[in-house]
Amino acid sequence: MSNQNFRPKVNKYVYVAPEILNNLTFGLEMDLLQNIKFLLILLLLSACKSDNKEAEITFTAEGIEIPVDYASGFSLTDFGDFKLVVVKDPWPDAGRSFTYVLAEKGAEIPSSLKYDQKITIPVKNMVVTSTTHVASLEILEEEETLTGFPGLDYISSQRTRQNIAEGKIRELGQNEILNTEVLLDLQPDVVIGFSIDGGNKSLNMVQKSGIPVVLNGDWTETSPLGKAEWIKFFGAFYNKIDEASSFFEDVEQDYLEAKTLAGLAKNRPTVLSGAMYKDQWYLPAGESWQARFIRDAHADYLFSNTGGSGSLSLSMENVLAEAQDADFWVGPAQFHSYNELQQASPHYQKFSAFQERNVFTFSSEKGETGGVIFYELGPVRPDLVLKDLVSIFHPYLLPDHQTTFYKPLE
Amino acid sequence: MVKDQGSHIVLETRNLKIGYRKKHQETVIASGINIDVRKGELVAVIGVNGVGKSTFLRTLSGIQPALAGEVLINGENRNLFSSEKLATLISLVLTEQPLSKNLGVAELVALGRQPYTNWIGSLSAEDRRKVTKALQLVNIENIQHKKCYELSDGQLQKVLIARALAQDTPIMILDEPTSHLDMYHKAQVLKLLKQLSVQTGKAILFATHEINLALELCDRIILMKPEGVLEGSPEELIQKGAFQTIFPSDLIFFDSSTRSFRIKT
Amino acid sequence: MQKARTYKPALFLLLLLVLAALVLNISLGSVSIPLDEILAVLFNGQVSRESWRYIILEYRIPKALTSILAGSGLAVSGMLMQTMFRNPLAGPYVLGLSSGASLGVALVLMGAGLFGGLFSGFLLSGWGLVIASSIGSLLVLLAVMLASIRLKDTMAILIIGLMFASLSSAVVSVLAYFSPAAELQQYIFWSFGSVGDLTWSEVGVLGFFWMMGTGLAILSIKNLNSLLLGEQYARSLGMNINRNRAILIISTSFLAGSITAFAGPIAFIGLAVPHLIRQVVPANDHRILLPAVILGGAALMLICDTAAQMPGSEYTLPINAITSLVGAPVVIWLLVRKRKFLF
Repeated sequence: MSNQNFRPKVNKYVYVAPEILNNLTFGLEMDLLQNIKFLLILLLLSACKSDNKEAEITFTAEGIEIPVDYASGFSLTDFGDFKLVVVKDPWPDAGRSFTYVLAEKGAEIPSSLKYDQKITIPVKNMVVTSTTHVASLEILEEEETLTGFPGLDYISSQRTRQNIAEGKIRELGQNEILNTEVLLDLQPDVVIGFSIDGGNKSLNMVQKSGIPVVLNGDWTETSPLGKAEWIKFFGAFYNKIDEASSFFEDVEQDYLEAKTLAGLAKNRPTVLSGAMYKDQWYLPAGESWQARFIRDAHADYLFSNTGGSGSLSLSMENVLAEAQDADFWVGPAQFHSYNELQQASPHYQKFSAFQERNVFTFSSEKGETGGVIFYELGPVRPDLVLKDLVSIFHPYLLPDHQTTFYKPLE
Repeated sequence: MVKDQGSHIVLETRNLKIGYRKKHQETVIASGINIDVRKGELVAVIGVNGVGKSTFLRTLSGIQPALAGEVLINGENRNLFSSEKLATLISLVLTEQPLSKNLGVAELVALGRQPYTNWIGSLSAEDRRKVTKALQLVNIENIQHKKCYELSDGQLQKVLIARALAQDTPIMILDEPTSHLDMYHKAQVLKLLKQLSVQTGKAILFATHEINLALELCDRIILMKPEGVLEGSPEELIQKGAFQTIFPSDLIFFDSSTRSFRIKT
Repeated sequence: MQKARTYKPALFLLLLLVLAALVLNISLGSVSIPLDEILAVLFNGQVSRESWRYIILEYRIPKALTSILAGSGLAVSGMLMQTMFRNPLAGPYVLGLSSGASLGVALVLMGAGLFGGLFSGFLLSGWGLVIASSIGSLLVLLAVMLASIRLKDTMAILIIGLMFASLSSAVVSVLAYFSPAAELQQYIFWSFGSVGDLTWSEVGVLGFFWMMGTGLAILSIKNLNSLLLGEQYARSLGMNINRNRAILIISTSFLAGSITAFAGPIAFIGLAVPHLIRQVVPANDHRILLPAVILGGAALMLICDTAAQMPGSEYTLPINAITSLVGAPVVIWLLVRKRKFLF
């Protein structure tokens, strides 16, 4: 799955090993600690419910904590015939977590276990609400279970578009205004939704009707590997945690390799991002997902000291003053060609990245109905994103790499 | 002071002071007003423009508060009555047009019964009788099915009078009921008021500029002058020479023999 | 007043219209459910799919009830405001109720930057927006009333209401300008209005306020008739101007305030239905107009919601767009045909 065919002359393990070892031991420690913690909690809970003998018996079963090293938004514990997924802070400042029990048919759930939703697995019909979720399903080869999605045109992947063309996936409108009737009619086993502030009327309605709604918080993750690690979250719904974990390990490995490779670069080019709308320049904030990639690709994002994990809006003058001489310009919003940029504003020409033709965009790679592939596949394949950037910033390091997402502006 | 005519006094003022009060400032229009109106009398309120006829009528009917003094209805202070009770004692005909011209004549007249109907305004048989009676008295039965916007000014004025009649109050107050009518209709309306005061025994009080007609028809006149308010029968006031000094003397003068104002030649 | 007898057929026809619109509204939706299945659900029979039973009982019927309550409630409050202000352009929102509601909702949805995490989780229960909207309406209403307390002229309250509406809009604009796209979209969707997705308990609360508001309106029928002559005459007929004004304002607040809280700011119905009804039921007596307006408002809202559902397609249109699209041409046509403005 890795599409690079260049390996440094030095054995990669020399460079990668320390990190891996670190993660492993850390992971093992975490494993042990988590296990102990869980056992303690369970014992405590069972002590409280001393009148319920039945519960105590099944309670002593150990749960295996699945290591989640980069993502901070969820935790996953495997109890054999049921799994516990805890999603923390699915939207910023949520201040609470959501506990989901994913149980196989006939699994016994301890009655003292408090949870928000119970979902029967493996899932046969699923509704998801973001294109990244679709990519995750395809990776797990479970895209056939997708029965509904809000905004079908945004989906770019070929395999799912085929299903759409065959009418297997129902249109649901938009995430903020899901078509309640159609959703109720689909009767999926679970709806994977996301909420920006906890108030989504359609999801509440669906949940009340008995269809479990699970909130996904992957969009709040800022670390590239953290976002990708949510593949394990999806794996739990299909009893494919092992496949998900192994997939993630490959991605992680490739990513870290690329990062180390970038570390060998001779220089750190300066980088600009974003573009203007009206007279405000919108660009990723210093600690955002996109900014992290630039940093890991051994380049200097000129606005990395701004903090924040969302997007910034600055005046054009600010950006010009700071980044006029940036070596590279990546992600100029929706623009595809130098012509378009020029027509939108004469100020763009002042940037040396524009003049030297060093502008690269990710929005020209689209599916047949206009969905941007980067938004769909990027979060689950950070390794490809990083390699794209490394090959742009330091071409000599990856001379044969074909970029997946980033293309030069026309 | 009790008048010796034996007729019942329905409306009386004692030392009434009328005007406007804004914050703590008083604007006095007239003061020391002592008048009385008896059952069945037709009384005209006369005065030059701006002397305060409308203010006087508004104060009498309760729309505007008095600055000082009392207004007595059937011997009792008007302020003691609730607005519902007052509605059964005084009815008004104003210069303003009714808001909704889309009303039918009979509908408008029937609204005069509001003080007597139930919580939702349904008319009883008694109410319907009074409405029919009012239409008859004013002689507009033939147009009762028309809409108000279809009527002439004269007809509309009669309809408003009929409405006040239907309200069946001992006192009727009209503010310049003939101001926009032609001479024939002026005479018609005033003749009608005279007839009504005799037939129904109501005390009818109206402000007007038609001094000549008022002198011919009214039982008593309330004459408002800047220096004070006079009341009396037309003869009494003529003898006193009250009309000589109302207007400046360069254009018109009061001719006692014809009891009317003439132009100086 | 006009004998109610002459208008009974018209009222009866309106009732039939409401019933027909109700049947239409329940039968049509994004999911095509055959009529016999709908009847089966309603009479507790066998259905081929349980999801259909759920859709009818827990989604379509509450939605139809909400439409009836919202349509009639807004129409009544529109009529009250038009009579109180003697202005055919007045509607249920002239006192600032919907602009207050918008302000409250905008602060909660888009004002996160100002309040930090204060409102996080507030929206989770679904009552969050209802509460925000109600408080917003109440505060702006109080502001308008306080500012008008010294004013003798009813007309002036209208102007003050408009001014507060402008103020609220301005604040909302500023919030929107700085708001991230997702939150702005949420606010915009709220402002489109929506009668669906209300639970039975929410419909119950809405119904309670509807009854209070409509009850007060019914008690005001006699005064409304007196006002046909103008405030001076009405007073001389025994009406207490201030008490009547207060009752009309409270009634409108209950109706328009609760409807906006649960269904968002639904446009056009409150302003247009009284005029539409006056064209087809040319009575002046509010004993006839009030029930006619209730029925007319309910029917129009049901029809608009049915259209907004875009039966057969997964997409739905915002209700506010439909109410104006359907209603405005009808009012224009009626006026042009009759060539006379009855008010």
